[in-house]
Amino acid sequence: MIEIVEVHKWFGRLYVLQGINLQVDEREVLVIAGASGSGKSTLLRCVNGLEKIQRGQITVNGISIQDSKSNLNRARQQIGIVFQNYNLFPHMTVLKNITIAPVKVKRMRTEEAKKRAMHLLERIGIPEKAKSYPEQLSGGQRQRVSIVRALAMEPTVMLFDEPTSALDPEMIKEVLDLMKELAQEKMTMIVVTHEMGFAREVADRVAFMADGQIVEVAPPAQFFEHPQDERARRFIEQIL
Amino acid sequence: MPGLFSRYLKYGWRFFSATALLVLILWLVYISLEQTYIFHWNQALRSLHNYNQGLKITLSISLISMFVSLGLGIIIAMGRLSRWTIVRDLSGVFVHSLRNLPFIVVVLLFYFGLRQAFPIDRLFSPWRRVEIWGVPIFDGRFIWGVLALSIFEASFIAEIFRGGIQAIHKEQGEAARSLGMSYFQSMRYVILPQAFRVIIPPLTNELVALVKESSLLFIISLEELTQTARLQYSTGRPFVFEYYTILAAYYLMLTIPLSILSHFLERRLAVGDRNR
Ligand SMILES: Nc1ncnc2c1ncn2[C@@H]1O[C@H](COP(=O)(O)OP(=O)(O)OP(=O)(O)O)[C@@H](O)[C@H]1O
Ligand SMILES: [Mg+2]
Repeated sequence: MIEIVEVHKWFGRLYVLQGINLQVDEREVLVIAGASGSGKSTLLRCVNGLEKIQRGQITVNGISIQDSKSNLNRARQQIGIVFQNYNLFPHMTVLKNITIAPVKVKRMRTEEAKKRAMHLLERIGIPEKAKSYPEQLSGGQRQRVSIVRALAMEPTVMLFDEPTSALDPEMIKEVLDLMKELAQEKMTMIVVTHEMGFAREVADRVAFMADGQIVEVAPPAQFFEHPQDERARRFIEQIL
Repeated sequence: MPGLFSRYLKYGWRFFSATALLVLILWLVYISLEQTYIFHWNQALRSLHNYNQGLKITLSISLISMFVSLGLGIIIAMGRLSRWTIVRDLSGVFVHSLRNLPFIVVVLLFYFGLRQAFPIDRLFSPWRRVEIWGVPIFDGRFIWGVLALSIFEASFIAEIFRGGIQAIHKEQGEAARSLGMSYFQSMRYVILPQAFRVIIPPLTNELVALVKESSLLFIISLEELTQTARLQYSTGRPFVFEYYTILAAYYLMLTIPLSILSHFLERRLAVGDRNR
C-alpha cells in the first residue's frame, strides 16, 4: 500500500533521510518514534509530496509520488495528513473547512458535502460548532476537526505528525480516542507520536528513527520489551 | 463605560481645538491676502460645472486604473513568488524599475515615448469621439493615462500583495495542497482570502496615492481635475487662488473618505480575526 524504497533527502548540506526503506500494508497502523530532529516529519512530508526526495521511490496505492504533478494531486486525495498545529483555515467556518476540498477538488455537490460533514461532526460530538470559526474551538476540538477534514476526502491512508503535541493533557485523550476508532475501522495509518501508550495499544508495528535512518521496526510488545538498537533502548528508558 | 466616554470626549476636544486653530490661521492668511489680492469667489464658483466634468475624468481614470492595477498587481506578485528563477527575476526587475521612477517620468516616457513606438490608441481611433458618461474613454490621452497609471501603480500593489501572501503561513498552503487542491485552488480559496485581510489597509492607502497621482496626467493635457483648474485661468479671469483652492477641495472630497475608510478597516481588521 505504501512503499518507501531507498529514500534519500537532504536540505543543502543537512542529510536528513539517509536511505529509508519501509512498507506499510493495507489496514496497518505504523507508529514512528524517534528523537527530535531525526527526520520523522520530513519522512511523512515526503510521503504526500510536500517535500521532494533526491533519491529513491515512494509509491502510495501504486501511484508514484515523485513523478508527474497531475498524479500528485490525485494521489493526495487518497492521503490524509494531520499536522501538529491543526492548520485549519481560519477564515472559514468549521463546516466550510470540511466541505471545501470535497466540493472543489472532488466536485461533490455542496448539499451532499454538507450532509457528510455534519455526519462527521456528529461523530466527533460537536455538530453545534458547524458555524463556528476555528479560533472559537478548543485545541482538542480543532485537532479533531482537522482529522475529519482529512477524512471528508475519504482517503485510504492517514498520516499523523505529532497530532497531540500541541495539546493540553486533558485534550490529548479525545484526539487519541478518535485515532483509535479509525484504527479499529482498519484505516491504514502512519502516526508520528511520543504517546507510547497509544503505540502499545494501537500500533501493529513501531518504527524507530535515528540519524535519518530507521534503525528498528518491531511489533510494540517486542519493541518495548526487547529493543535491539542501543538508541532505541535509551529512548524507551527516557520515555517510560 | 466612563473610561471610554471620557476618551472620546478628550479626542473630540482635541479634534475640535485643532480645527479651530487651523481655521483661525487660515483666516489670518486670508485677511492679509485681502490687502493685496481681490477675491472673486462668485465668478470663480461659476466654473464649477467644468470642475465636475474634470471630476468625472479623474474618477473614471482612477477607477479603471484601480481595477487594472489590482489585476496586474496580483499577477506580478505571483511572478515574484514563482518557482522559476527567470519569472521571479523578470517581475523583480519590473517592480523595482517602476517603483524607483517618479510618476511624471513614467507618464512622459509612456505618452511621448512608447506611444510613438506602439500607437495602440490608433486602434481605437474610429471611436475617438465616443463618450461614456461624458468621458471620452477611447481618446489617446485617456488610454495612455490609464496605461501609465495602472502599470506604475501595479508595481506598488504587487509588493503589497506579495507581503500579504508571505504573511500567510506556508502551512496554510501545505494544508490546502495536502487535501488535493491545485496550486491555483489553494491560492484562490485559502491564501488570497487571508492575504486580502492583511493588505486591505495598505491597499486603500495605495488607492489614495493613485487618485493623487492621476493629477500629474495634466502634463499630457488630459482634462482631469488638475488640468481643468489650470484651464480656468485666462487674462480676463486671473483668479488663481480661487481656482486652485477649489481644486484642492475636490481632491480632499475624493481622498479623505478613502483615508477614513482605510483607517476604519485597519481598526476593524486589527481588533480580532472576525466579529460577525
Ligand atoms: N525545510 C527545511 N529546510 C532545512 N532544514 C530542514 C527543513 N525541514 C526540516 N529540516 C531539518 O531536518 C531535520 C529533521 O527535521 P524533522 O522535522 O523531520 O525532524 P523530526 O524528527 O520531525 O523532529 P521533531 O520531533 O522535533 O518534530 C532537522 O534538523 C530540521 O532542522
Ligand atoms: Mg516533527
